[in-house]
Amino acid sequence: MANAIETENLTKYYGKSRGIVDVSLVVEPGQIFGFLGPNGAGKSTTIRLLLDLIRPTKGHARVLGMDVRHDRLAIDRRVSYIPGELSLYGDLTGRQLLAYLGHLQGKVDAAYRDELVERLELDPTKRIKGLSRGNKQKVGLVAAFMIRPELLILDEPTAGLDPFIQLVFEDLCEDARKEGRTVFISSHQLPEVEHLCDRVGIIREGRLLTVESIPVLKAKARRRLEIDFAKPVPAKKFAGLPGVEDLTIDEATLRCTVLGSVDALIKEAARYQVENVRSIDTSLEEIFLGYYGEGAALSAGKESGDAAA
Amino acid sequence: MLLRSVFGKTIRDLRWPTFWVAISLAIGGGYFTALYPTYTQAFDLEEMMSKMPESIKALIGGMDMDLSTATGFLNVELFPLILPALLAGFAVALCSGFTAGEEARGTIDVLLSYPVPRWRMVLDKMAALVISLFVSAAVMLVGIQIGAVASNSPVDLDKIAAGLFLAVILSLAFGTMALAIAAWSGNRGAAAGIPIGLMVVMYLVQTLSANIESLRTINPLSLFHYYLGHNVLKYGLDWGDVVVLAAVAVAFLAAALVFFERRDLAA
Repeated sequence: MANAIETENLTKYYGKSRGIVDVSLVVEPGQIFGFLGPNGAGKSTTIRLLLDLIRPTKGHARVLGMDVRHDRLAIDRRVSYIPGELSLYGDLTGRQLLAYLGHLQGKVDAAYRDELVERLELDPTKRIKGLSRGNKQKVGLVAAFMIRPELLILDEPTAGLDPFIQLVFEDLCEDARKEGRTVFISSHQLPEVEHLCDRVGIIREGRLLTVESIPVLKAKARRRLEIDFAKPVPAKKFAGLPGVEDLTIDEATLRCTVLGSVDALIKEAARYQVENVRSIDTSLEEIFLGYYGEGAALSAGKESGDAAA
Repeated sequence: MLLRSVFGKTIRDLRWPTFWVAISLAIGGGYFTALYPTYTQAFDLEEMMSKMPESIKALIGGMDMDLSTATGFLNVELFPLILPALLAGFAVALCSGFTAGEEARGTIDVLLSYPVPRWRMVLDKMAALVISLFVSAAVMLVGIQIGAVASNSPVDLDKIAAGLFLAVILSLAFGTMALAIAAWSGNRGAAAGIPIGLMVVMYLVQTLSANIESLRTINPLSLFHYYLGHNVLKYGLDWGDVVVLAAVAVAFLAAALVFFERRDLAA
């Protein structure tokens, strides 16, 4: 089976301004794939290249095994898309818009579409311009999922959704994955991506830094540990241990960051009387910090004001 | 239901604008036609026309004016400038937004993610506009006839219809120009502004060329030359004019399709 997405040295310059550079990405079918990066990193550029809304400066992209330019129509029948700043025809009601898009698609399972409307608790009789952002987003979600596409490309899909509806969204993604379909999510919502995705690609300043599964990313990440001892312990015994960084000893409490295995640290700590061990689980935020450096942080859970670049 | 294709949706989107343009044209046309008898009673038009300086006559649309009939009256008052200004202005306003408007509003991303080729989107919208223009023209014809009957001043419906037909083709020429500029640049302002600016210039070139020798060489470049040049309301339709204007429209449309196909769409 062809890869859901495959790009080779995909590059886009807007004049002299950098979009993305040499992005070679493979997304296998049947996954939920997260695409992460700060504003301006090139996420939306990558997505718009995949959808043939813009054309590359160099390199190429294939979606579901087909060329994004030459097989555009065939791809459009099997892929759906929600852009970062979703904009729909305000004068139509949700129902009218979904009917319109369904006709453009060709054939839509009306029963499934109606089921989605219900699951997402959308009032389809209201005009779209009167809907809140979250409700507009729901219309977009129904439109995307109702055609049962082989690949969903979702840019900030949960923007404006309340937590309950986010769960419904996650169920829909899981359903898609179970059916062997692929979901490609570009997001700032780190906890959500962490929770939902099988693999994550991180993009920064136009370049793809890494593509890893979540467990591997976390293993490569730095973990923070705090160990409470019965009595103060000598710093110099711990400072030189492999993987140990940022060591501080505050009376009887040791705090440090460990890269990779905690084995050496634990074995050393075990030579003293240990009262408590706390491991602060690394969020993707901290993985980001590891990749981006302290300055360019992406706040977990905070929605950013601008659309993804 | 209309919401089955881009064409259907555009017809639906255009229903009120078409209604207002058609009604305005019908009322304007009917009113002016009905006004004719009052006009002739008010003063002797033929005498006025014979005394009018050539340059002024040219400016109001041509020297070959015949105010002895209601049709001729419309040929001076309505058809040379007001009708094309309204109809072509309408076409330009709409065409400038067909691509650039959707890009600016952001709706184009979702639309084109469905199996709708870019060229299809443009052609569907243009087809809806063509229908809108012809409907407006037809309603105007009815309005004129009502005005003629109501005031007992008969009009030459064949020639009026020919004039309206030519006005529609002229409007399509300017409209597709706007479409091409929008497809190239994504800039709605330029796409509307440039054709309208050219409309004014071309109108002046055509009407002033009667008096200004130097303008006669560039006159064939003015689209108004093919609208006003053969005085359709007096002599009927010149098919050569139709062919030229239609060819211009087709050329701009083709250009628009090519430009739009190649464009990086604005986010």
